[in-house]
Amino acid sequence: MIEIRNITKRFYTLTALDNVSVSIPRGEVLGLLGPNGAGKTTLMKIVAGVLQPDGGQVFPNGQGWPLVGYKPERLLFPNQLRVRQYLEMVAGLSNIPRQRITQAVQTSLEQVNLQYAANKRISACSKGMRQRLGLAQVLIGDPALLLLDEPSNGLDPEGQSDILEVIQSLHAAGKTLVISSHHLHEITQVCTQLVILNHGQVHYRNSMAEALAVRPHVLLRTDKDLTAVQDMLSALHPDIRVEGTKLLLKNEAMAMRRPVLAILLNMGYDILHVEQKRITLAEIYAKAVQ
Amino acid sequence: MTRRIWVLTTFLLHRLFFSLTGVIFVIIALVYWAVLFPPQQGTPDLENYFLIVGAFGAGMTFLVALSIASRANEAANYPLVVRLPSRVEFLTAVLLSTIVGAGLLQLLVAALALFRGPTELWPRIMEIPPVWLATNILAAVLAMHASDFVTAGWSRVYVFGLLAFLLLGQSSSTTLAPWLAMRLNNLSANFVQQGWYDIANFINKAVSWLNIGGGEKLADAMGFLFWPFRAINEAVLAGSFDANQALAPAVMLLYATILFMLAADLFANKDLDFIE
Repeated sequence: MIEIRNITKRFYTLTALDNVSVSIPRGEVLGLLGPNGAGKTTLMKIVAGVLQPDGGQVFPNGQGWPLVGYKPERLLFPNQLRVRQYLEMVAGLSNIPRQRITQAVQTSLEQVNLQYAANKRISACSKGMRQRLGLAQVLIGDPALLLLDEPSNGLDPEGQSDILEVIQSLHAAGKTLVISSHHLHEITQVCTQLVILNHGQVHYRNSMAEALAVRPHVLLRTDKDLTAVQDMLSALHPDIRVEGTKLLLKNEAMAMRRPVLAILLNMGYDILHVEQKRITLAEIYAKAVQ
Repeated sequence: MTRRIWVLTTFLLHRLFFSLTGVIFVIIALVYWAVLFPPQQGTPDLENYFLIVGAFGAGMTFLVALSIASRANEAANYPLVVRLPSRVEFLTAVLLSTIVGAGLLQLLVAALALFRGPTELWPRIMEIPPVWLATNILAAVLAMHASDFVTAGWSRVYVFGLLAFLLLGQSSSTTLAPWLAMRLNNLSANFVQQGWYDIANFINKAVSWLNIGGGEKLADAMGFLFWPFRAINEAVLAGSFDANQALAPAVMLLYATILFMLAADLFANKDLDFIE
């Protein structure tokens, strides 16, 4: 849907984005991860058209520019308006016919469970309500591309779960979403594509399914140090690694788990723990931002 | 597009008049009326009435534009801007809300000035908006260039620096020409030292031109840009516009259009670094 090609963005002497290329495919949920200052918000603002890149291009892949809904990280609204008034104004900017504005506002309020606060002044809204309002305004007008910067920040667990459900339903409806978040479980649950930024550069890019499918391994923990049998085990397969009382069988070495177990039991080791693990997003993230 | 601009205009007007600043603007208008048009005085002279209300309108437009532009420059507006097919719609809404907001305040003063007075001027009050609209639009666009909302890089310095230079040039031809001639002479001497005789000769010719009355011509040329302001002033004091003077508001609108196009270009291509 959107191609980001060789984007560079500088703020005076600080390079916020350095030659970043990312593809946002139609109907996918792209998760942007990275530490503070990695360039996530800058990238979102460039896609939203708020910032101009110093180099590179952002262009629609296929049809023209889609209608964009953008929820910034900071929950700032015109405080003197009421929730409904604000959403009606957003609807007015989204080419929704006048006679359908009330319905569109009501639908968006229901989607984020905020209908009870429709007539409340925004200044009187809690952080959680503002977060929902931020998402409700994004949904108005049925935009094809939704940019959500920290969508569940400040919400209680129930609220976070609600927001994730909304995001999943939007994905199921074929919307394209870009989500920036520090919550790894949130990204794991809803995103289908993953990009990790650090120091303004893309350090990792993959589909979520492929990212989490790589490097399955078996972890064994014994009662005694395994250094004495390290050479014997390594001779079985180079992907067998000993770390104190831990034994890791990676990749093809996983097939050797039965003989390895037999050797260890024969040599008098007790097996305290056996686990078949897959890589977690936390591990991918830690490695990428190292 | 029209609908989107109107939605943003009403939003910005709502934000202005439902704020302390908006109330202060209304109070300023009332104080201005009470000081310059005391109710016991009755209807003022026609010329003074036109000039004072017009000056109030231009000044108030400048202030209202700055105030609305600062509100438009808030981070709460990011979700609104990304909805617009063109950023210029937002800029147009800022201009329109300024004209409407300041125009209402101007009409308030214009109407109050006739309070308790004879009513001969009532038909003339309707002439004020068209006469002063051009001045107000120009003031609004200039104020937009002064605001963080539009300014990009050094643009504010360039626009107002040029304006200051032109004002200085047209008002002090007797001091400007000798000063400029002296500076050019020094420059010419530097070029001679460098061996760049052609450039030095060219500058010397310019110095000679300045010394034989060129300075006055330069000041006149600079002053020509301010002709519409003088023309409107003279026409109001004379009580009627002649054929040339009638063009003055149109020329002002032309200036405003050029400045608005510049503002639109700056705003369309700048980073929107709204205030949080």
